[in-house]
Amino acid sequence: MHIKHHPVLGKKLQNPVTIYFNDQPYTAYEQQTVAAALMANDIKRLGSSRNLVQPRGLFCTRGRCCSCYATVNGENHVRTCMTRVEDGMKIYPNDEDPEVRGESCGD
Amino acid sequence: MKAVETDVLIIGAGPAGLAAAFETASRGLDVTVIDESLSLGGQLIQQTQNLSSLPSDLSPMRGFELAAHLIKQIEEYDIRYLLGHRVIGFYQDGTIGITDEVDVFPVKTKKMIVATGAAENAVAFPKWTLPGVLTIGAAQTLINRDFVKPGNDAVIVGSSDFAMDVALQLSEVGVQVKGIVEKSTGVLSRNTEKVKQVNKIGIPIYVDSSIVEARGMGAVEEIVIKQEDRVFTEKADLVCIDGGRSPILDIFYQLGTSFGFQKELGGWVPQYNKDFQTDCKDVFLAGNAAGVSTQGALVLTGRLAGMNVCEALGAVSKETAAVEKKGLWKELEIVETKYNLDIWHARNRHVDNFTHPVLKDQFIS
Repeated sequence: MHIKHHPVLGKKLQNPVTIYFNDQPYTAYEQQTVAAALMANDIKRLGSSRNLVQPRGLFCTRGRCCSCYATVNGENHVRTCMTRVEDGMKIYPNDEDPEVRGESCGD
Repeated sequence: MKAVETDVLIIGAGPAGLAAAFETASRGLDVTVIDESLSLGGQLIQQTQNLSSLPSDLSPMRGFELAAHLIKQIEEYDIRYLLGHRVIGFYQDGTIGITDEVDVFPVKTKKMIVATGAAENAVAFPKWTLPGVLTIGAAQTLINRDFVKPGNDAVIVGSSDFAMDVALQLSEVGVQVKGIVEKSTGVLSRNTEKVKQVNKIGIPIYVDSSIVEARGMGAVEEIVIKQEDRVFTEKADLVCIDGGRSPILDIFYQLGTSFGFQKELGGWVPQYNKDFQTDCKDVFLAGNAAGVSTQGALVLTGRLAGMNVCEALGAVSKETAAVEKKGLWKELEIVETKYNLDIWHARNRHVDNFTHPVLKDQFIS
């Protein structure tokens, strides 16, 4: 839930934007990070672990734990806690390894 | 390519980095401040609690007000800010690699002040990786910086001063704090006033208790608490882990400084002398990276590192520097002994150990 009136800081949320998670539209505010805006819309599961396929989401909000990775505007493994929302942003969960660019498949 | 040449590179724009920026820029040095976040102030910007133990020249104020004060202080100086940038490497020719997340460019600096701060420690229990389980600092960031209520029913694991602050702040934005779980036999917070307030609004504190497991499908829904022989379940969509903090050391690993272990300072800490200089002679450090302490101490260590860099680069005379440094150390003693005597003792032990480093050139994680 967005905090419309903060007990100490007052009214701060300005400039609503629309972001898309799995193609569904959600309301966010310009100053928010992607992970925070998704949490405001009750979206907590942002991906899954590779080995045991466990749900993953925001943990540290400081860009250190990398638990909030998601695909943002086509870019894989974006730290959504360190990225601010932009209008029309398209976000998909981080459920599988990205396609690695290059001519061969690599190893 | 936007190659940079500077006198002082300050890594981290929190209280220590900003204080160091003032000391150096106000004495005419060319200063560059880099931070991976998009704003100045570090973790101060979401601290709405009043800060006690600030240096004597600062009146008591809230954390975000201290950030605003430190930023205002350096407004008039021509400092180069690299926000949203990260240090990614140190090269043999002395160049530092910086990225803006798209390109990498080189920075050459005469001296460096590393003020990377501290990271919160996790406390593991079964299913602690479920979404909805956050660090306590993350919960505070969400409510005070992003204006997002991260849940309706919260349980806090740990009972430090900071846990009491955030428990009160969560309650104020309408989160029901169902309980504070502490594994020790008593509350860890030394701030009896805060603990009283927490009691007063009816938040139970379970001491001698632990988390058995978290449960939920896709996100945390319940948390199982064990208090002595009693095991009970609380409905919670938010679990905040207060596991203390440890210095962020990545930069020091890459630089190859030596380390010493001081439990009271947050664990492994780079070795440094009384001048906040590491055994890489051009590398100074400040703030939580030099041992986790109170905000007042972070500002003071920033000033000390800044003053020493000024002296090393000839921006102040030896005599002036000696007087200033003596005053700053005295002030640090006052602030730190008032806040937590153990930290002050550990810092002195750590500085005394400088000539006998515990670990040299070794990666620890």
